[in-house]
Amino acid sequence: MRNLFQEVWESVRRNKLRTALTGFAVAWGLFMLIVLLGIGNGLRHSTEANMGDISVNVMEVWGGRTSVPYDGLQEGRRIRIDETDVRITAGPDFADVIDEVAPTISQSGIRVSYGKRSLATTLEGVTPEFSAMNKIQILEGRFLNEKDMAGKRKVAVVSSRDAENLLDGSTDYAQLVGRRVRTDSGISLLVVGVFKVDRSSMGASFYVPYATLRGIYAKGQYVDDITFTFHGLASEEENEAFENRYRAILNTRHRADPTDVTAVRVFNRFRQSLMMDKGMNLLNVGLWIIGLFTLLSGIVGVSNIMLITVKERTHEFGIRKAIGATPGALIKLIIAEAVSITGVFGYLGMIAGMAVCEVVNLVLGKNSMSVMGEEFRGIVDPTVGVDVALEATLLLIVAGTVAGLIPAWKAARVRPIEALRAD
Amino acid sequence: MLIDLKDINKTYNNGQPLHVLKGVTLGIEAGEFVSIMGASGSGKSTLLNILGILDNYDTGEYRLDGKLIKDLSERQGADYRNRMIGFIFQSFNLISFKTAVENVELPLFYQGVSRRKRHALAMEYLDRLGLKDWASHYPNEMSGGQKQRVAIARALITHPRIILADEPTGALDSKTSVEVMDLLAQLNREEKVTMIIVTHDPTVAEKTRRTIRIKDGIIEE
Repeated sequence: MRNLFQEVWESVRRNKLRTALTGFAVAWGLFMLIVLLGIGNGLRHSTEANMGDISVNVMEVWGGRTSVPYDGLQEGRRIRIDETDVRITAGPDFADVIDEVAPTISQSGIRVSYGKRSLATTLEGVTPEFSAMNKIQILEGRFLNEKDMAGKRKVAVVSSRDAENLLDGSTDYAQLVGRRVRTDSGISLLVVGVFKVDRSSMGASFYVPYATLRGIYAKGQYVDDITFTFHGLASEEENEAFENRYRAILNTRHRADPTDVTAVRVFNRFRQSLMMDKGMNLLNVGLWIIGLFTLLSGIVGVSNIMLITVKERTHEFGIRKAIGATPGALIKLIIAEAVSITGVFGYLGMIAGMAVCEVVNLVLGKNSMSVMGEEFRGIVDPTVGVDVALEATLLLIVAGTVAGLIPAWKAARVRPIEALRAD
Repeated sequence: MLIDLKDINKTYNNGQPLHVLKGVTLGIEAGEFVSIMGASGSGKSTLLNILGILDNYDTGEYRLDGKLIKDLSERQGADYRNRMIGFIFQSFNLISFKTAVENVELPLFYQGVSRRKRHALAMEYLDRLGLKDWASHYPNEMSGGQKQRVAIARALITHPRIILADEPTGALDSKTSVEVMDLLAQLNREEKVTMIIVTHDPTVAEKTRRTIRIKDGIIEE
């Protein structure tokens, strides 16, 4: 081994510039590969981070319109879901999968005033479970609890955005907790907490107990939507099968075609995140392909330069063969040189790529864009891990061997008689 | 008989067929000191190539130490050359980016001899040829005579049965030529190495004990 690399070093040392220029192409190829994969990882991580405040194993259900005629009824009929649907959802039919069920109702266009300030908002009637399902972040005070529900208390949890408006721009939300706000219809609500707004609750501004809202606004049996958590559905197929089973039962109850996906609408966040994962993996594959093609030009360069080396060293290889070198020994020599060049320069490129990823991480990773009042981070942790480094190492060895194959074959074919050729 | 050639024919097919060796039959005993003489184009280089297993022949039989040398694989050929034959070339054919001692070591490298052992052996041979102080010098730092002595050390290091020398004094001045020939004669005497020297120089041929003349691909001893 030591002899082999000494020979390689001797050969490379005699052609420093040419080796460096060729090596640059390989380094560039690997640099691009690492940077691309880093960006891919950054996008993946940012999606994960931005999705991070939403529970994944949650489905939402709401009423739509039928799209096919069924049971003598025409299509286009509006479906409204109600508390019976909530009971069915929470009932024994789905006990194997569904954990917690939270219905919501809402009343929009409500004017709320506090002192001299007032604003238009939406009241959302929710249950305490809603908080966990949507990962509601409480900034001050608390979320709604079972006592609020049981007592139909007139309490509210206010969004940070609305709280800020009511406090005349102040973010000292504690000032608002324990105070009362008044709606335009004369109802006084006690603020028990302030929550941080996030994308999953874009329109929601005031959370009040479900029972309270239902009582005040005489909502009857109808609910706006049902949110429930579930477990035990791992694959996409399992998820789809469950959605179909669930939909069929609810559709039948509302006299809609059991397979009509627009009648009772079901939105599965888990399936969406599976699709997102799929998309991310596809992106990763695409980036690998682009990186590999960039590297390919470097490999061709190494192959080319090795061909020239073999040509130049024909006489020397003849001498080596005359004094006993087997073709295998020469093949080993050339492949070792090709692998060394690709390996060393590939690693330089890889290190440079990783350095750039780290710099991007330091500079851009901390930046976040503000989209509609939400913090949105474009690229998060755009770095590659040890796994990619190992994959790249393997790739370089394979690439170097491929680059050395044709030149090595040429070297092996040098005839020992070349040694006698006067030069 | 160490070398036994029977009716060797060789034709080159470069456009027009060229019949270079026309039934060469030749025997050389172990320990002989032989010169092969002939004008250029006589076929002496081709004969040397065949003797050195650097080239194939078309018909006939070549036995080296009793073994038939015919249609060998590249591997076998390399192995025979490595163990049985030492080469000395007119242009020395040292590898320019290797030091004297590294050049001498090279045949042992292809035998798989350990680094330490082959270095010690190479130093020993350089010492015997009076080049100990030049061991770490590169070929371009040495005179022609010194280079040829390095090449001789390289040829000797594997203890070959035969040394094939192709115009060994061709690139040397007359004084150095005499020294090199004396050295070869001495090696033949002391080491009992069979020495075959291809030359067109009669003064070189005189130093050998037997001269084989070749003309138009036919031996006329």
